[in-house]
Amino acid sequence: MTRPPFDPNLIKTSADEVRPAFAATLTVTQLTQLIKRTLEERLPSTIQVIGQISNFKRHSSGHLYFVLKDERSELSCVMWRSDAVRLKFNATDGLEVIATGHIDLFERSGRYQLYARRIEPRGVGALELAFRQLRGKLENEGLFDPTRKCALPRFPRRIAVVTSLDGAALRDILQTLLRRFPCVDVLVYPVAVQGPSAAGEIASAVALLNANSDQLGGIDVIIVGRGGGSLEDLWAFNEEVVARAIFDSRIPVISAVGHETDVTISDLVADVRAATPTAAAELATPVRDELTSDLARTARLLLRHLTHAIALRRASLTAVCERSAIRRPLDVVQRRDEIVDDLNTRMQQGLINRMHHLHRKLGAMEITVLRIAPQAFTAQLRERIAAAEHRMERSVTRNVHHWERRLNDRAARFADIHPKRRWERLSDRIDQMTRRLEALSHNSVLRRGFTLTRLSRGRGLLRSPTQVRDGELIVTDTAGGSVESRVVNLKQMELFDGP
Amino acid sequence: MTEKPLTFEAALQRLEKLTVEIERGEIGLEDSITRYEEGMKLLDHCRQMLAAAEQRIQKLTANPDGTLNATDAPELGKSNRPAARDD
Repeated sequence: MTRPPFDPNLIKTSADEVRPAFAATLTVTQLTQLIKRTLEERLPSTIQVIGQISNFKRHSSGHLYFVLKDERSELSCVMWRSDAVRLKFNATDGLEVIATGHIDLFERSGRYQLYARRIEPRGVGALELAFRQLRGKLENEGLFDPTRKCALPRFPRRIAVVTSLDGAALRDILQTLLRRFPCVDVLVYPVAVQGPSAAGEIASAVALLNANSDQLGGIDVIIVGRGGGSLEDLWAFNEEVVARAIFDSRIPVISAVGHETDVTISDLVADVRAATPTAAAELATPVRDELTSDLARTARLLLRHLTHAIALRRASLTAVCERSAIRRPLDVVQRRDEIVDDLNTRMQQGLINRMHHLHRKLGAMEITVLRIAPQAFTAQLRERIAAAEHRMERSVTRNVHHWERRLNDRAARFADIHPKRRWERLSDRIDQMTRRLEALSHNSVLRRGFTLTRLSRGRGLLRSPTQVRDGELIVTDTAGGSVESRVVNLKQMELFDGP
Repeated sequence: MTEKPLTFEAALQRLEKLTVEIERGEIGLEDSITRYEEGMKLLDHCRQMLAAAEQRIQKLTANPDGTLNATDAPELGKSNRPAARDD
C-alpha cells in the first residue's frame, strides 16, 4: 500500500500567511521547512485520531509503524519504542483505535506522519483489551487447564508469601495463619505489588522460591497476592511474566489479588484462586484445634477397637469353657458306669428269677410224686429229691457266681481300664486347651506390662476415676503379683483432649 | 541418608490403616495390641507436631547468585493496629 504523496492543498490556508520573501521560487528544503513550520503553527500540539489500524509493523528496534485509515483516507503513524513499551495490549491490523500524538513532517521523505504517544482501543479500555488478549492466548496454551493444577497439601509446614511488606494483605495472611495453624513456618518474600518493576519482582520471587525450596527446608505452598486497588494497581498480576512464573511453579500457588470481584490472569493460572489474602491463608491451612480434637477422636477410636477385639476373644474363651467336655469331663465315664451297673442288676435279677422258677417246678414235682407213689417209695424218693435239689442248688449257685464273675470282668473293663485311658486322654486335651486359652487371657496382657486395677473389697475393676475417692485403697494386678495402693490424686479428664 | 521424621499426613494415613486393622478383628490380639501401641505413638507424634511451634516468620532476600537468605522477622507478625480487612 502506498502512502499518499504530500499535498500542498492541505496547508492552503497557511499560504496566505507566507511572507512575500518566499513567494518567489523556493528550494525543496525551504518549502519543506515552510510546510513543517505551518503544520506546527496551525495544528494543535496534541491530536486524537480515530481510525482502523492496518499495515502494522513492529520493527526490531521496538518502534511501531502502522497506518490509520477510515473509508476515505489513510494516515501514516509511528510510535517510538519508549511509548510502545507502555502499550498493554497487542495492536493488530483491523483494530479500531484512538491514537493520541502530534503531526510532524519527516523532511527527508517529505511525508507527514502522526507520532503517536498513546493508543487506546475504541469501545473497551486498553487494560481490559490487554487482559482479554492475554487470557485468550494463555488459555490456548493450556495455562488455565484444570488438569494442570496441583492440589494443596492438607498439612503445610512452610508457606511462602509473595507480597508487599506495607500492604494489609501480609498482615491479614499472617494473622489468619496464626489464628488457624500457628505451627506453620512463614517465609515472607517482599516484592513491589504495583508499579513498573512489580511484575518482574513477583515472577522472579516465584521462580527463586522454587529454586531454593530445598535449602529453605521445603516450601509447601506459595501465596501470591495483594490487597484491593484499581485495575491499574492490580495490573502486575495480569502480566504474562507473572502468569508464566506461576504456571512453571512446582510448588502449589494460591493467588489472592484484590477483592472478591477482581479476577486477574494470575488468579486464573494459579492452582487455587482465593478471593482475598485472608481467604488464601484459610485455604492453605487446616484449623489446628480441629486437628487436635480429630486426634483425640482417633485415640478414642483406637482404644474402643482394641477393647472390642479383647471382648471378642473373651467371648470365644467363655464359649469354649461352656462346652461339656470341659465343664463335665467325667460325664462320659460316669455314663459308662451307669450302663455297667444296670447290666449287672438286670443279670442278677434274671438268675434269681430263674432259680425261683426252678424251685416252684421242683415243689410241683414233689407233690405229684407223693400223690401217685405208694408209701414204700416215699422215703427213697424223698432222699433222691433232696439230692437233686441239693445238686440243683449248687449248680444255680455256681451259675450265679459265674455270671457275677463275667459281669465283674466286664464292669472292670469299663470301670478300670477303659475309663482310665479315656480319662487320661481327656485330661491331656483339657491341659492343651487350658494352655491355649491362657495365651488369650488377660494374664498374657499382664505379662506384656499392662496392669489391672481392682477396687478394694471385691467391687470389681477400676474403669473410671468416678469409682474411687481420695484415700481409698485400690489393688493393681501385675504379671508378677499384686500391689495395694491408696488413691491420693484424683484427676478426671478426657483422653488426650487439649494440647 | 537419615530417616526423615514422618510427616503429619503420612502419620495420619498410617493411623487410619491401624485403626481399620484393629477394627476388622482379622488380626490376632497380640497384633492388635502392637498396632494400638504404634497408633498411640503416632498420635503422640502428631500432637507434638501440632503443639510444637509458635508461628515462625522469616523474611527472604535474594542474593545476586540467585540464592535466598532467610532472616527471622517476628516483627512482621506483630501488628499494632487491627488488620484492615480487604474484603
